[in-house]
Amino acid sequence: MNALMIKGLAFAAVLMIATLAVVMSLDIDLSDPINIITMLGALVIAGLSAGVSIKYINQMKTDTATGELADENWDGIGEYKNELPSGWAYSFLATMIWALWYWFVGYPVNAFSQIGQYNEEVLAHQEKFEAKYKDADSDTLQQIGESIFLVQCAPCHGETGDGLSGKSQDFSSRESEAQVLDIIENGSDQLHYPMGAMPGGMAFGEDAKIAAKYVADGMKGDAPAAFGVCAGCHGADGKGNDGMSPNIAEYDNEVIKHVLANGKKGVIGMMPSFKGRFTEVQEKALATYIQSIQQQ
Amino acid sequence: MFHWLEKNPFFFSVGVFVIISFAGLIEILPNFTEASRPVIGLKPYTVLELAGKEVYKKDACIACHSQLIRPFKSETDRYGQVSLSGEYAYDRPFLWGSKRTGPDLHRVGNYRTTDWHENHMWDPKSVVPQSIMPAYKHMFTNIADIETAYAEAVTVKKVFHTPYGDEFKGTREAWEAHKPTVLAEAKEVVKNMKNKDVKDAVANGEIPEIVALIAYMNRLK
Amino acid sequence: MQSNAALEYDYSVAKLFTYTTILFGFLGMLIGTLIASQLAFPELNYMLGEYGTFSRLRPIHTNTVIFGFTLSGVFATFYYVGQRVLKVSMAESKFLMTIGKIHFWLYLVGALAATISLLLGYSQSKEYAQYEWPLDIVIVIIWILWGISMFGLIGIRREKTLYISMWYYIATFLGIATLYLFNNMAVPTYFLTDGLGNFMHSVSMYSGTNDALVQWWYGHNAVAFGFTVPIVAMVYYFLPKESGQAIYSYKLSLLSFWGLMFVYLWAGSHHLLYSTVPDWMQTMGSVFSIVLILPSWGSAINMLLTMKGEWNQLTENPLIKFMVLASTFYMLSTLEGPIQAIKSVNAIAHFTDWIPGHVHDGVLGWVVFMIMAGLFHMAPRMFKREIYSKSLLETQFWLQTTAVVLYFTSMWIAGITQGMMWRAVDEYGNLMYSFIDTVAVLHPYYAIRALSGVLYLTGFLMFAYNMIKTMTASRELTQEPQFKSPMA
Ligand code: HEC
Ligand code: HEC
Ligand code: HEC
Ligand code: HEM
Ligand code: HEM
Ligand SMILES: [Ca+2]
Ligand SMILES: [Ca+2]
Ligand SMILES: [Cu+2]
Repeated sequence: MNALMIKGLAFAAVLMIATLAVVMSLDIDLSDPINIITMLGALVIAGLSAGVSIKYINQMKTDTATGELADENWDGIGEYKNELPSGWAYSFLATMIWALWYWFVGYPVNAFSQIGQYNEEVLAHQEKFEAKYKDADSDTLQQIGESIFLVQCAPCHGETGDGLSGKSQDFSSRESEAQVLDIIENGSDQLHYPMGAMPGGMAFGEDAKIAAKYVADGMKGDAPAAFGVCAGCHGADGKGNDGMSPNIAEYDNEVIKHVLANGKKGVIGMMPSFKGRFTEVQEKALATYIQSIQQQ
Repeated sequence: MFHWLEKNPFFFSVGVFVIISFAGLIEILPNFTEASRPVIGLKPYTVLELAGKEVYKKDACIACHSQLIRPFKSETDRYGQVSLSGEYAYDRPFLWGSKRTGPDLHRVGNYRTTDWHENHMWDPKSVVPQSIMPAYKHMFTNIADIETAYAEAVTVKKVFHTPYGDEFKGTREAWEAHKPTVLAEAKEVVKNMKNKDVKDAVANGEIPEIVALIAYMNRLK
Repeated sequence: MQSNAALEYDYSVAKLFTYTTILFGFLGMLIGTLIASQLAFPELNYMLGEYGTFSRLRPIHTNTVIFGFTLSGVFATFYYVGQRVLKVSMAESKFLMTIGKIHFWLYLVGALAATISLLLGYSQSKEYAQYEWPLDIVIVIIWILWGISMFGLIGIRREKTLYISMWYYIATFLGIATLYLFNNMAVPTYFLTDGLGNFMHSVSMYSGTNDALVQWWYGHNAVAFGFTVPIVAMVYYFLPKESGQAIYSYKLSLLSFWGLMFVYLWAGSHHLLYSTVPDWMQTMGSVFSIVLILPSWGSAINMLLTMKGEWNQLTENPLIKFMVLASTFYMLSTLEGPIQAIKSVNAIAHFTDWIPGHVHDGVLGWVVFMIMAGLFHMAPRMFKREIYSKSLLETQFWLQTTAVVLYFTSMWIAGITQGMMWRAVDEYGNLMYSFIDTVAVLHPYYAIRALSGVLYLTGFLMFAYNMIKTMTASRELTQEPQFKSPMA
């Protein structure tokens, strides 16, 4: 091989190695068939373009122009009557034949359905996933939860779940004083707990403030008298009477589940509903992860 | 034969024209009527949403955002259900885009909300710190052109029989009569917004671009 | 054959379009460099208020380089090459001279108006067809004027057989005419509503999936008939002319031409893979894209073989260098495109930076190189002066070659990385990366691309400077050079 060809192919090789190195540094699974085909495609592009063009450029070094000139001549430009380069001609013929065969016969044009293929892909995954992680331990759930959270929730709640300086719910604590106050004043009817709606005006003035502060501070110490009304529904410990109403002391699976199903609108803003977007296991995983944020 | 063609520009041109034409016919004709059928329950865009779509076109969001969820699990996990042909029946033009510098938006209405968009369009970095999307503060002061959006609704009703109600007529009176409906819809959006200037503008009967855009974003489901 | 007595060709229209090629090339690439920088450094979005964001400027970049720079280059070379290969001077027909002049001035006014309209936000939001209907009408008129010029010249030609370049110019004319008309069909809203709303506004004749089909039937072939066919016309004239070599093979020219005409149109649906267009149509686009490699490579191989035995010219004449490199970049992009059109590859490549990468090894390596080489060849003959500086040309060549390589390698890696990150799942089968992760990781590549823009733009400024000096200050020639362009 001559020097130019070696340089050309070396360039192609360096490009491929750099691409592979970057992709592998990101933990990407290169055994995925689509990824393999793409890498092969890239290799063909780099290798073949360099190889073929340099093959012809090399002929500039070695060959001389030969052949019979045509009679015509345009502005001094002549034209040889040379035959087609055979490699090119056969490749053209071959791709034409292949194209017709592939389109009409070889490939099941009438049988293939991209939606069908997609459905199979999803189904296969879903079955495997649910079976495998139905009884996952909490560490695993927390990891699953974190990965879903970072993709789906972080744009609003922030990567650390801090609520992006008040733009949405901060998970490092339960509701803030303002949030609780708002609900005490206006009630709430959106989460669809078995107990139904919480009416507004459960407490007023100072009482409301004291109750709100107590809840927002994490319900530590003795409950103030003002919390008495609340305890009727949320329980003395605030844990929501076994899922009858929301747990207002800490995040539990039920809160997350109800919020994901219904969305939530409050003083901060609005959270959309994620109904139907997650499986049971995924919801549980999200809950586990959010609880872990609060505990940190 | 070819030499002959090369001496006869007229027949040469006819030859080129014929050979480039019929591929187009095969590509376009067979599917034409079928693909334009709306999915059941699809409603045409409201005038406010159309005005928002105009803002989307004007600021060329299509430069960075697609509206086409391909049938891969990785895409449906990220963006929601696969896109169907019938969902685009009222999209003139289609806005699938060809580059995802930012995420797909075909179902963004499902997982982002008015107040989120308000924060994000004012300053994307305030919600997504590493964002490279430009801030669109001018949308909070520019007034949306809802009259043109109304004209568009009437036009597609007349020409393509898009199912808008009988009250959509191409007259100034009909437009004046429809205006309050648009304003009412804008007020619904503004309820969930915080920007004072925007709220004031809507209270005064003017609709800033951002309100129309958010109405359009919320519609994308 | 006609006598070889020298004809006085009239280059006045060719010269005018040469100026706009330089002007729009500079503007388009300046904006290209700016938007490339904005993706790396988003603070740059706020220099011109609402008019300076990436999204407002990106369509201005594409339209300025396509309808400004490339089209000017096509017209400039046509008004030069056309006369010479048809052996007829514009000066022989007052009518054609007038049409040519109107063609230019209407084009200039139209191009400026179109750019301003985009800046103000009037856009149909269909790629490469953004201009609203009044501007579309102006463009159609400009196109008809070009057609009159072309077929007028053909009508009074002395050389009876059309040269290969003419085949390609004719195809450019017909192709764009058909495609542009159909894709831009729209109903203005102003007239059906007693004058409600904005006069400029229109709605597309087609909706949804149909609109997509028409758009990419157009879009793909706008590339074909804007970035490929007329550039092939140029290489078929300028390379043999500059080198003094005869075309390697008539048969190869012939088969490549009709092959390209036949196959190109079938491939448009490769822009719609995995979309809602029917599966069979997608497969058709993929399959014909693969076939398309051969007629595309045919022309490139024909050019490289035309130069065989002429290694010394490749090393000595920078214009030959430009054209040979252009041909190899043409081969690269016409192999890359078909591979990206394979459905499984497109699953990754579509929507990523690998596509702009593919685009720019075509446009920067092939289109711009070829147009610049063509204009450099024309300048000594039009202005009767030698090319101002050979060393500047050499520097420009290396600078821009480096820039193209940086552009396409950085976007290649960026695109493949991003495409794979979007799909990546963790051990539990959940998405591994949030969208913003896939944005953040691209920063270094966007920065490299911005740098490549600066280098390429600098090279283009060298070209502009060299051209202007050639027009005004370099040594005068007494005789038209036969082949190799003289340069100092
Ligand atoms: C009549 C029963 C009842 C009483 C009394 C009551 N709550 Fe509630 N509370 C509920 C129900 C039911 C919900 C869920 C509302 C929904 O579906 O949106 C709720 C929701 C809440 C929430 C929101 C939880 C979340 O995650 O969104 C807070 C905070 C709260 N209550 C605090 C209080 C406080 C403080 C008091 C006393 C001042 C109180 N509640 C009294 C029934 C009650
Ligand atoms: C478009 C923005 C947005 C997204 C996306 C989002 N949230 Fe929220 N979320 C909010 C806002 C805003 C609130 C606060 C609502 C309020 O109380 O004003 C909230 C509140 C919550 C709450 C607390 C509700 C309560 O009763 O205290 C939970 C739990 C929650 N989100 C979980 C999630 C999870 C899990 C995800 C991802 C699957 C998610 N969120 C995605 C905006 C969002
Ligand atoms: C320079 C590229 C760019 C432009 C132009 C752009 N965006 Fe974005 N967009 C992004 C990026 C990157 C993200 C992801 C980071 C983020 O959320 O800010 C994004 C995110 C978004 C999101 C959030 C979607 C989600 O799922 O999180 C919305 C909505 C959005 N953009 C709307 C728009 C609109 C409307 C416009 C036009 C007025 C626009 N964008 C213009 C790059 C852009
Ligand atoms: C200095 C040189 C140039 C630079 C730095 C540059 C940069 C860019 C950038 C940053 C984009 C947007 C990519 C994206 O959205 O991710 C773009 C798009 C584009 N540019 Fe350029 N460009 C340059 C020259 C050119 C030239 C000379 C042409 C044509 C002759 C051209 C044609 C295009 C086209 C067609 C697109 C759209 C691609 C697509 O939608 O996929 N560019 N360019
Ligand atoms: C054999 C020839 C070619 C084929 C089969 C081909 C194929 C493709 C494919 C598959 C895409 C990507 C579509 C997507 O997934 O979004 C594409 C995009 C593109 N190609 Fe090519 N390509 C070819 C040659 C060229 C050449 C020579 C140029 C320019 C000089 C070019 C310019 C473009 C442009 C501008 C786009 C971007 C379109 C957009 O805005 O999305 N192509 N091409
Ligand atoms: Ca594009
Ligand atoms: Ca148009
Ligand atoms: Cu294409």
